[in-house]
Amino acid sequence: MTKLADNINPHIYEKGTEREITASDLDENVVDEIDEREIFDLIRNINDPEHPLTLEELRVVEESNISVDNKQNTVDVNFTPTIPHCSMATLIGLSIRVQLLRALPSRFKVTVKVAEGTHASEHAVNKQLADKERVAAALENNNLVQIINQCVAIK
Amino acid sequence: MSAWLECSISEEIIKNKEIFSDTPSIISDIMAGHLDITNLVENMAGVLTNEEVENREQGMKFFTKILKELPPDYLNETQVKFISRFYIDRLKDNHRIIPSVLEGYLAIIDMKHYSTALNGEFFTVLFREVPCQSQVRQDRYNIYRILNLLNKNPEYLKTLGPDFLYGFISAMDGERDPRNLLFLFSFLPTFLKHITLGHLVEETFEVISCYFPIDFHPSPDDPAPVTRQDLANALCPCLCAVAEFGEQCLVLLIEKLDSSLRIAKLDSLALLKESCKTFSAQTYGPFLKTLWSSMNREISHKTDEELKMLAHESLSALVSKLATTANTDQAFENFVKGVLISMQTAIAESTTVAKFTQAAKVLLTTANASKESCVIITKSMIPAIVAYYEFKPSTKLQIASIDFLGDLYDMAKHWGALDEIQSQAIEIPKLCLIAVSNPSKEYQIAGFKNIIRTKDLLQSDLVLPFIEVLIHNVQHSQDENLLSISVTTVHTIARKYPEMVMDIVVKGKCDLDNLIDDKTALQKRLNLLTNLASIDEFTKVIISEMLKIIRTHDEDAPKVIEALNSSMSDISLYTENKLSEIESDHGLIDSILGWILKELHTGSEESLSHGYKLIATTMSSLPAEKQERILSKYADVLEKCQKDEAYFNILECLYRSLRQSIYNPNFERIMHLSIDVALKSDDKAIRTKACVVIAHLINKVGHGQKFELLYETLTNCLLNYESEEETLLQRLILLYGWLTKALIMRGSDKFLCWLQKIIAALSSPVYCKLAAEAIRLIMFVHPDALNRTFYPIETLLYKQRMYENFTSLTQNFVPASEDVKEAFYVSWAFVLENLSKNIVSREALKILPIVIESLDYDNKEMLLVMTDLLCYYIEYQPLVVAGSLQSAIPRLAKLTRYPKSMYVRVNSLQCFSEIAKSYSTVLLLPYKQDVLAELAPSLDDSKRFVRCYAVAARTRWFLVGAPGEPKEN
Repeated sequence: MTKLADNINPHIYEKGTEREITASDLDENVVDEIDEREIFDLIRNINDPEHPLTLEELRVVEESNISVDNKQNTVDVNFTPTIPHCSMATLIGLSIRVQLLRALPSRFKVTVKVAEGTHASEHAVNKQLADKERVAAALENNNLVQIINQCVAIK
Repeated sequence: MSAWLECSISEEIIKNKEIFSDTPSIISDIMAGHLDITNLVENMAGVLTNEEVENREQGMKFFTKILKELPPDYLNETQVKFISRFYIDRLKDNHRIIPSVLEGYLAIIDMKHYSTALNGEFFTVLFREVPCQSQVRQDRYNIYRILNLLNKNPEYLKTLGPDFLYGFISAMDGERDPRNLLFLFSFLPTFLKHITLGHLVEETFEVISCYFPIDFHPSPDDPAPVTRQDLANALCPCLCAVAEFGEQCLVLLIEKLDSSLRIAKLDSLALLKESCKTFSAQTYGPFLKTLWSSMNREISHKTDEELKMLAHESLSALVSKLATTANTDQAFENFVKGVLISMQTAIAESTTVAKFTQAAKVLLTTANASKESCVIITKSMIPAIVAYYEFKPSTKLQIASIDFLGDLYDMAKHWGALDEIQSQAIEIPKLCLIAVSNPSKEYQIAGFKNIIRTKDLLQSDLVLPFIEVLIHNVQHSQDENLLSISVTTVHTIARKYPEMVMDIVVKGKCDLDNLIDDKTALQKRLNLLTNLASIDEFTKVIISEMLKIIRTHDEDAPKVIEALNSSMSDISLYTENKLSEIESDHGLIDSILGWILKELHTGSEESLSHGYKLIATTMSSLPAEKQERILSKYADVLEKCQKDEAYFNILECLYRSLRQSIYNPNFERIMHLSIDVALKSDDKAIRTKACVVIAHLINKVGHGQKFELLYETLTNCLLNYESEEETLLQRLILLYGWLTKALIMRGSDKFLCWLQKIIAALSSPVYCKLAAEAIRLIMFVHPDALNRTFYPIETLLYKQRMYENFTSLTQNFVPASEDVKEAFYVSWAFVLENLSKNIVSREALKILPIVIESLDYDNKEMLLVMTDLLCYYIEYQPLVVAGSLQSAIPRLAKLTRYPKSMYVRVNSLQCFSEIAKSYSTVLLLPYKQDVLAELAPSLDDSKRFVRCYAVAARTRWFLVGAPGEPKEN
């Protein structure tokens, strides 16, 4: 028997609009800094492992939960699992991490965490996501990589 | 002596298998009259009635073969009757005989003299003696084919009675072969329509319905598999072939619709849609409640688009079916109200636009199905949505509700139901007014868009408040979108209430009489007025007032001219006729020219150019004779030109948009003058205008003598300018470009010598850049010359001819230096950019090496074109590029860091994305690590736009050869 999803009927939220392209975006001489919105755009379209929906539609990631510091070269992402006992939380966190590793310049130090108080085993999940070796080990597991790749692949 | 003329044939058939190949000779003997078919049967008696089953089988096979090969009209009625009786009798024989009997009977039925009456007899014996489902596939197929032949004679089918039907359904009961089923389903609907079902309705339905929903997977080694969808599509019409199936069919359908299987739902919805063609509206009566609750569930499905679409389609079919009884039966109204109530609840509960539009779409589908449902829906939804809006949901929802009102209005208009919902519909403009009174841009745009849609509803008492808001926008809005929609809205209202708008706007707010007294936002007011002037009622008042300003040479005249120019060049506002009318009523050209002549040396460059453009646009709208009249009126411009080259501007705008039929003796003089100006003037703009005049003259002059004459004038004239001086040569090259363009466009072969001169210049280090410029002139559509508005002679495919000639002329091109080489590729870029994609694809093998080679040179414009082309090839003709990946990838990688243009960077990154998508993993893996490393710096590009593409390309390359890659190799 196939496993049913943890949250069978999640609440779906509105998709935000695409970032508006301003005149300065098209001006060759203006330098655009990497900002929160840009990080959000990188991860909003990651697919949920259980539903054909994006993390944005499930409001797992939100622009307000992201912070970027271009001077210190740090990026912090907090995400909110749909339900407090979601078994996919680690997987979602890992997908976000992988996507950011691939899509951000290497100067950034990326931290991905479960937003405070939104998950039953918040501490354990955060520990797993922060542990470089565990992440590296997970990425050597072909099955896991396959699922993550399917999540981050652009539809 | 042939064996078939004697009894020995029986022996032969038993012993000698080869006799089967002799049947053509037997047929020809029979046809020739050497042998009678009855004699043949007699001769074969030995084998046909042999005691051994095996021998009888041979005999039947042999005889069946002969029957099949006989021409269908050869046997007479008695013979056919005799033979069919014989075959019917044989049905009782051993099972081994049956296949040949069936095959033979099929041949008999096709015969011309076959009497349908024999069918009854055949089927009685067939159904009694032969258990259909115990036969092999091919024989079952033959039985069905015989049954199908009855379709040809529906009258006879009716006489066959219940026993036949019973036999038929027992025969097909339990059929499992997909091809046989497909065949059965293909004729069942017509078959069932023509036969009386009587007490067998239920049984018949059972036999068919056991297949629903089709659950079938073709075997993987089937070369031409029957798909599940084929079977499902064929089964659907069988299940609702006759009205008698109604109740059973609906019970089945509702049961399967509630199943958890997706295909069961899809098939049920398709069946519901199909069933509306045959079942009566009453049939659905008892099931409507259940049906709606099931459909509602599918229609509000979150992610499955296909299911949702199908649910919409079946809802639409059902509503239009029920609507046929709208006047006699309450059921229809109850059903529609049921839909209405569920969707109103859904709308009221919706928190996102997606949910809102989903419910709105269901209502629109229902309204779209019939006039009656449309009236019910719009009558209650318009007030409901107005109330909803005032309930203040989120901004997006309020805007969505305004759009929904527009949709409802369109629907009512489509069904001609506007009269019936008059009292509700007039609320729409009121709501629009509330929306546009909101200072936010989104509300205003939505409100104006909607009032343009529902303009017929606008009552006169609302005009004033709308105009207030609109005029405020027109004068003070900084937003382009809002500004243009405001102007359009005023235009729309003005068409409906010309007098009111005239009073309020033209004479009131914009105060035409004292137009220029108020300087603030003058330009915007002028734009509005020139826009309104395109409406007949306003033309006279506004245009004459504006021309008065121009004629009095007021300081604001340039602004008026600019406004006139921008409105009048919009073809959707001012048609050719309208412009021509304005010119003859108000003397537009005279006034403008009067102003230009006075300002020629003092006016600003920009306002003068608006004036020139306005004259050219107006000229081009005039018929030929009027154009000639104006030319002769201003013939003195030519004289003035010779003294002062500034007048050349006027000459150019008068002559640019002449129609092809016009020719006057001045042309030769103009040609002389233009060449002189084009090569000697110090003003670049004037030189270009001179070239344009020359190109227009050469392009448009009629074929034959006139052309020859003018062309000769041109060549003779150019002889005077042969010199080695550098500036002159530079000007000449550009002139050659214009000439080539004019000639190649009109399809004349004379362009070749000019093109050769340009190519010659291309090989010189000094002039190569200008030669590339000349090639650009030839290939690009110039906004002010030789484009469609100016009536040029334009042959088809001239760009393709240019490509071909350029290819052949540069075949042996040996560039002397790097500069020349760069100019060479730049010229190529101009040629290729404007080529139709057809040719680009066809000539891929020739073009691709040039594209890849050119990526090494540093010219922004060229690189843009070339990377674009490369991307196109990778996407649509990956095979051609496959061999060159090794040389293309490093060049592209370098271009992802090209500092001069972000678009080049974007294009090359896009190429990388396309490469990852188009090629097999095996081909890409060797490059993967290098590409990932090369793309990393782009992730930190200074432009966000570039980073976006870099991310797409790099994340895609990460997937190459990795588990979970979304590609089948």
